[in-house]
Amino acid sequence: MSQQSGKLGIREYVSIVILMVGTKPTGDLPTALYSMVQSAGWMIPLISAGIFFIPLFLLVKTMMLYQNQNLFSIIQKLFGKYIGSIVCFIIFIISSSIISIDTRTYTNIIRTFYFTTTPNLIIYSILMLVCAYGAKKGIQHIGSAAYLVVYYAVLSLIIALILSFQDSNIQGIFPFWGPGKLEILKGSSKSLYIFLDFFLFAMLIPNFQSTKDFLKGTWVAYICVCIQISAVVLVFISLFDTSLGGIAYPFHSEIRYISLGSYLPNVEIFFFVIWIMGAFIRFTAFLYINVQMFCHIFKIKDYEYLIPAIATLYLLIGSIPETPFDVGLVIKPIITNVVGPSFALISIILWLTAWLKGEFKHANNKEMV
Amino acid sequence: MPTTRKWYKAFWLLAIVCLLTGCWDREELEDKAYVIGLGLDRSQHEGKIIVTMLLANPEVGSMQGGGGSTEKPREIISFNANDFIAAKGTANAIISRKISYDLLKIIVVSEDFAKEKDFIATISDVLKDKEIRLNSYLAVSKEKAKAYFKKNHPKMETRPHKYFQYMVQHGVDNGLIPDSTLFRFFTAYERGTDLFLAMNTSAEVGKNPNVKGEDEYLAGQVAATGELDDTQFIGAAVFKKGVMIGKLTGQETRTVNILDDTTNIKDVLIDIPDPFSDEKKQFAARIMKTEDNKVKMNLKGLKPKIFITVPVKIEIMSNPSMVDYTKKKNQQILKKHIAKHIKKVNDDLFKKSQTQLKGVPFPLAIYARKYFGTIPEYKKFDWNKSFLNADIKVNSDIEIVDFGKTTKKH
Repeated sequence: MSQQSGKLGIREYVSIVILMVGTKPTGDLPTALYSMVQSAGWMIPLISAGIFFIPLFLLVKTMMLYQNQNLFSIIQKLFGKYIGSIVCFIIFIISSSIISIDTRTYTNIIRTFYFTTTPNLIIYSILMLVCAYGAKKGIQHIGSAAYLVVYYAVLSLIIALILSFQDSNIQGIFPFWGPGKLEILKGSSKSLYIFLDFFLFAMLIPNFQSTKDFLKGTWVAYICVCIQISAVVLVFISLFDTSLGGIAYPFHSEIRYISLGSYLPNVEIFFFVIWIMGAFIRFTAFLYINVQMFCHIFKIKDYEYLIPAIATLYLLIGSIPETPFDVGLVIKPIITNVVGPSFALISIILWLTAWLKGEFKHANNKEMV
Repeated sequence: MPTTRKWYKAFWLLAIVCLLTGCWDREELEDKAYVIGLGLDRSQHEGKIIVTMLLANPEVGSMQGGGGSTEKPREIISFNANDFIAAKGTANAIISRKISYDLLKIIVVSEDFAKEKDFIATISDVLKDKEIRLNSYLAVSKEKAKAYFKKNHPKMETRPHKYFQYMVQHGVDNGLIPDSTLFRFFTAYERGTDLFLAMNTSAEVGKNPNVKGEDEYLAGQVAATGELDDTQFIGAAVFKKGVMIGKLTGQETRTVNILDDTTNIKDVLIDIPDPFSDEKKQFAARIMKTEDNKVKMNLKGLKPKIFITVPVKIEIMSNPSMVDYTKKKNQQILKKHIAKHIKKVNDDLFKKSQTQLKGVPFPLAIYARKYFGTIPEYKKFDWNKSFLNADIKVNSDIEIVDFGKTTKKH
């Protein structure tokens, strides 16, 4: 079977990013942020975005040196074959654990709110099955599907938030600095993981129509996403106020609470359908990136045959934790605390190596000639 | 052959549709019994509660035109249980269908149970339950919830879900009952700085109801006669930290509702003493509130100062002393008088809340937060204590938009 050589354009890329990163506050992110810094939770996405900007900027700069090469080949080029491979493998392990935990979280949400008696394993398998099927189709299809869904996803999110305005009070965001400025800074540095997907998107560079699209798309999406996350968290804080700390999945509690007048009192199913479509695309893209990583490390050409196997592996890993509490309160904090700083560090070291090796000068000279 | 292929594909697509029902979470409307009202009472047995379920019959009233069934529109069962979650199972010993809280509209708690300390532990189960929505209402009944549901027999609106929906909706619109959703109950409980108001209801009319002002009643005190159902929704039960501590009359509840920006009051009709009359006559007015209140605070110093400005639009609906409102002078007198009246009503309310209830019955504390930079500073201020000796001034910003249809004295 020949490989699909589909290319991503800027709008597909931005759609994927919005679905992957922008929908994070519909999971358990607002609760995590609120329990960290209470009323200042909405600031964290903005400040972390500011902090993560530096490594991301350096990463993108390094990536621009080499046209049409993905993250791993550059890592291997700059760090050498052995160290490079080890670093790549670590990145693969980390991102695999993230996808396992995140898919499990989503399975928990679906089970808790919508399919209460269905066994977890069944929901989880269906989720992974759909994602595997999508990932097998290739990144171009994922991109087109994302572009189709993204408007509905964003629109439904906005409608859901607007409908809650009647019961919310903007004063909930005060005291403005939450537990104190230092705590906010600490919390922001811990929350870098929100934007880790941008790091992983560098894997997709060979799939872009041009590397410039990646550059432009990254910054456009970065700004969109950090505003979106911050706005959603802001609305949830003003709606739930102090009880946000105890609500595991605020988005789903909220859509069960709101109503469209007395004739349509229970409307959560509209939002759920769109949300689940976004979730499918989110994990499809994530799965695709992970499979690409695996293929690169072990030099496998036909990625299509690998997808079902890796999807099953994630399913098995994700099924290990016994209860949702283990996932959300024990395992997730460990991973998220490690991920953000380590990815930021890798980006910076990558740039430093390129700089010390004189690659930038080299590139400049090339241009001059 | 493309056509054969198409048929082949279409066949498989249709076959897959059959799988969509799945093996789990398949729900048949036919198979479900929807609980509309849930009653909670204290039981004589220790550690147990009496759960009352009001089940609606979906068959009644759903038919278009004639030909509805002759079944009763509702069914009520009461029994002892440990909690109302597992009670769903027990209820199946009596009810043939699967019990569901999906469409639960109202939870009625008897007054003596609401005053108990472990009430909050019982009611917190709604957060754990996967079916109950937080936009269901919490009401407190004077009598046992068990008796309340049994006695509640609406004459016109026999379908219970519609009855409670309309009753509550219009009560909230009028401002006579608070918008007491479970959501508000739990946010108020978690905040811990304000009191929660639950709607007060009763299906028993008191023996000697006095005739009072238009709205100074509690549930069960409105003396109405005729061919009617005795159920009344008026006034509020006050909860502090999840325990009921007192009651507010319909008028006080309305005052709170006007002060509370998160409540959606629409069409409030009130009586205001007529300034032109010597005989204690009152004129009717409609209050409309389209803008939010302006709250300013000065929290430094020993005695915190709170200034609230309530912008209201007023429509004069009657003119008992036959005054000519076209005269500017009379309009001025009227305006001043209404302002004075609103101020007095609010002052009385805050006096009651500072001395008797020892807490503010709407989320006022939330406006105090912006005067503090960080949460530790706010905690140090200790709203609950500071509020008790705060100096609260309520002013109203009145705009009389209409003097009724006639221009002359009638």
